[in-house]
Amino acid sequence: MLELRPILSALWRHKVSALLIALQLGLTLAIVSNALVVISERTERISRPTGVAENEIVTFNFMAIPKDYDMYDAFRQDLDMIRALPGVASATISNHVPLSGSGSASGFYTEPNKETGAMGSNYYTVDEHFVDALGMKLIAGRGFYPEEIMQIDPSSNDRPKVSVVTQKFADDLFPESDGNVLGKSFFLGGDDHPIEIVGIVERNLGPWPNSSIAGRGAFYPAITDRWFYYIVRAEPGQRDEVLKLVEEKLAERDGNRVINANTMEEEKAQYFAGDNTMIKVLSGVIVLLTFIVALGIVGLTVFWITQRQKQIGVRRALGATRTAISRYFLLENLMIAATGIALGTAAAQIFNGFLVREFDQPALPVSVTVFCALGLLAVSLAAALVPALRAANISPAMATRSV
Amino acid sequence: MFGYYVSLALRSLRRTPVLSALMVAAIAVGVGAAMTTLTLNYMMSRNALAEKDSVLYAVQLDGWDPHEAADNPSEMPWQLTYQDSVNLLRSDIPSKQVAMHRWGGPISLENSDVRPFNADSRVTSRDFFALFDVPFLFGGTWSEEADQSPIHQLVLTSETNDKLFGGENSVGRTVNFNGVPFTVVGVTEHWQPSPKVHDLNNGHFNKSAEVFLPFGLHRAFEIYPWGNTNGWKSEEITSYEDRLNSDMVWLQYWVQLDSPKQVEAYRDFLTGYIREQKEQGRFPRPLKIGLSKPSEWLLLNEVVDGDDRMLNWLSLAFLLVCLVNAVALLLAKFLRKAPEAGVRRALGASRNAVFSQHLVESACVGLLGGLAGILLTLAGLSLIRQLQMGYMDRVASMDWTMMLAAIGLAVLSSLLAGFYPAWRISRTNPSIYLKTQ
Repeated sequence: MLELRPILSALWRHKVSALLIALQLGLTLAIVSNALVVISERTERISRPTGVAENEIVTFNFMAIPKDYDMYDAFRQDLDMIRALPGVASATISNHVPLSGSGSASGFYTEPNKETGAMGSNYYTVDEHFVDALGMKLIAGRGFYPEEIMQIDPSSNDRPKVSVVTQKFADDLFPESDGNVLGKSFFLGGDDHPIEIVGIVERNLGPWPNSSIAGRGAFYPAITDRWFYYIVRAEPGQRDEVLKLVEEKLAERDGNRVINANTMEEEKAQYFAGDNTMIKVLSGVIVLLTFIVALGIVGLTVFWITQRQKQIGVRRALGATRTAISRYFLLENLMIAATGIALGTAAAQIFNGFLVREFDQPALPVSVTVFCALGLLAVSLAAALVPALRAANISPAMATRSV
Repeated sequence: MFGYYVSLALRSLRRTPVLSALMVAAIAVGVGAAMTTLTLNYMMSRNALAEKDSVLYAVQLDGWDPHEAADNPSEMPWQLTYQDSVNLLRSDIPSKQVAMHRWGGPISLENSDVRPFNADSRVTSRDFFALFDVPFLFGGTWSEEADQSPIHQLVLTSETNDKLFGGENSVGRTVNFNGVPFTVVGVTEHWQPSPKVHDLNNGHFNKSAEVFLPFGLHRAFEIYPWGNTNGWKSEEITSYEDRLNSDMVWLQYWVQLDSPKQVEAYRDFLTGYIREQKEQGRFPRPLKIGLSKPSEWLLLNEVVDGDDRMLNWLSLAFLLVCLVNAVALLLAKFLRKAPEAGVRRALGASRNAVFSQHLVESACVGLLGGLAGILLTLAGLSLIRQLQMGYMDRVASMDWTMMLAAIGLAVLSSLLAGFYPAWRISRTNPSIYLKTQ
C-alpha cells in the first residue's frame, strides 16, 4: 500500500537535494520557534496592564521665557482653567509621567537611619487629584487632602508626612503584612523621618515598565517647580480634542512660554519602540522564512517531477491511479520534512541555549517547538501539494515517448 | 571565455524564468535581511571620534557606595560630581579637557518673527570644540573667564543660527536664553556624532545640543541638568550650593592626553586626587579610576545592545537558510541541463571549463540577487526607522560601503552556493547523455 521502499531508493539517488531541503526545514524550525518565544515575551511586556488610563491621558509641560517667573502661581491658574474646560475629566500636576521613560527613583526602608538594604522604587510628587487624573484604582485608605500638598524646592530636604503607594510597593516592602499596610511608615534612608502610608492604589507600572522596579511606586503630596507635567485625563473619546483645546488655552492665558503637549499613548509607544521593533522584525522573519522554504520545496518537487515524467508515465500505464502518483510525491515530501523537523528540534534547543546564555532571552518550551513543527509540516505538504496533483495529470502515453 | 560564459549564463537563466526568479529572490531576501541588521550594527558601532581615538579619554572616578559598586559593566559611576569636575579642571596635565552636561531652555530673539522654542543645550568648559574637533563657521569659543564666573556668552550650532538669524554671521548679536540676554561668540559647523559618544546618557542616537553655554553659569541660573543625575547616599541638601557640593554625579568628563607620558602623569594625578579626598572621608571604595578611549567607551556603554546583536545572529542564520535554498535550486537547475553539459564535455570541454561556466552562472544569480537585496535592505531600514519612531533616523541608513558590501555578500554567497552544484555537474559522465540524445 505505502510505497516506502521505492520512495527511499529514489530519495537515495537524490540524497543531496533531499538533505538540503531537510536542512532548510530544520534551520527554519530552529529560527521560527525561537523567534516565536521572543515575540510572545515582548508582546506580554507591552500589553501588561499599566494601572493608568493610558489612552485617555494627555500631558503638558511649559518653559517660561522670562527669567523670574512665578511658577507656582502659573500652576494654580493653569490647573483651575484646565479643570473647567469641556471634555476634561480630571487634572493633576506631577514631577514625572508614567510610561514616559523619564522619572525618579529612590531607596526605601522599613526602619529609620538605615544605609543599606534599601528597596528601590519609583516615586512621584502629585496634587490631590492624582488618583482620578491618572485613572488609577484606590483599593484601600484615602488619597490626599488639599491642605497636605506641600511646595518642595528640589534644593531642600523637605519630606512629606504621608504617602499613597502601589499594591506591589506595599507587598515588596512589607512582605509579612499580607497587604495590610495602612498606617505603617517607611523611611528614605539616613534619617528618622517616618512617612505614613495612607492609601494603596491597585497598580502603576511607573516610568520604566521594563526595569526591575516596575510596579513599585510611592506618591507624595507635593509640587515642585523644577520638573512638572500637567496630567490631564479626558472624557472617553475626547482625548485629541482636549489636547488641542488645552494647548491653545495655555498659550492664550500666558503667551510668554513655550508649551509641549503629548499623549500618554505616544509616550508609551516610544518607550516600547525597541520591543515593538523586535516583534515586527521577528514576525517578518517568520513569514519570509516560511515563504522561502515553501518556494524551495515547490521548486524541487517540480524539478523531480519533470525529471521523472517518463517513470510516472510508465507507472500510470502499468495501472497506478492518479491518487497513487500524488500520494507518492506527498509521502516523499513527508519523509523529507520529518527528517528536517527531527534535525530542527535539536537545532532549536541548541540555538535557544545560545540565546538564553548570551542574550538573556526566555527558554523555549517544548509546546512551542511542537506547534512550530506541525505548522512547518503543514506548509511543507501544502507546498508539495500543487506539483503532486499536477504530476497525477501526466498521461500514460509519456511512457512511450522518449524525453 | 568569461564573456561567453556570462552570455551562456544569461541565456540559461532566461530559459527557466521561474526557477531563476526563485533563486534570485532567495538570495535577495537573505541578503536583504542580513544587510539590514548588519547595516544597523555597523552604523551603531561607528566611532565619531575615531580620528582622535588614541588621545581622548573619558574619565571615571569610583566615589560610589562603599557597600556596593555602581550598577553597570564598568562598576564605576558613568559621570562625575560637580565638585570633582571643578577640582580636575584645575589640573594642567591634559592638553585639553572638558566637564559638561546637558541642559536646555527657551530661546528667543527680541523684536523678531522667530517663535521662541526650547533649545537643547550643553553646558561645558571652553575646550569642548577643540577637544572634539568641532569646526567653527564664525567666531570661536568663549573666554576662559566665562568658565569661572557668570558671563552671558554662548555658541550656536549652524542649524540654530539658520533658525534664528537665517544663516548670517551672528557673532556679537544678542539672543535671549532662559529669559536673559546672551551674546553670540561663535557658530559651529554641523556636528552630529551618532552614536553621540561624548555623552551617552538619554539615548545613544539622539540629537546633539543646539546651543553651547559656558561652565560658569551654574550658580547664577541654579542649573539642574537635563541628563541623568544619580546618587547613592542620602545627603542633607538645603540649598543649591549643597547640591553642587554633594556626591551626586551628573557631569561627563573628557581629557586629551597626547603622549603615554602624559597618560601616566594624569593617572598619577587622579590617584593622588582620590587619596587626598579619601583623607577627607570621601571615596570610601577601593581606589579605582577609569580612562577609556572613545572606542572603549562605546563598548563599555553597550551602545550596540543585546537585541541588536541577537538580530545580527538571527539574520545570519536567515541568510544560511536562503543559501541552502539556493544550493538546492541551483543543483536542480544544473542537473536539468546535464545533457547540455554532457555534449560540451564530449566536444572536448574540460571539467574545469564546465565547472567555471556554471560558477559564472551562479555569480550572475548572486549579482542580480545582490541588486534586489539592496532594494530590500533600503525597505527594511525604512521600516526600522518607522518602528523606532525617530530614535534611529541617523543610524538606519545605508552608505556606499554597505551597498558594495551587500553586492559582495550576495556574490560571495551565490558562489558558495554554486560551488557544489557546479562541481557535481562537471563530474557527470558525458556518455549517458549522448546515448539518450
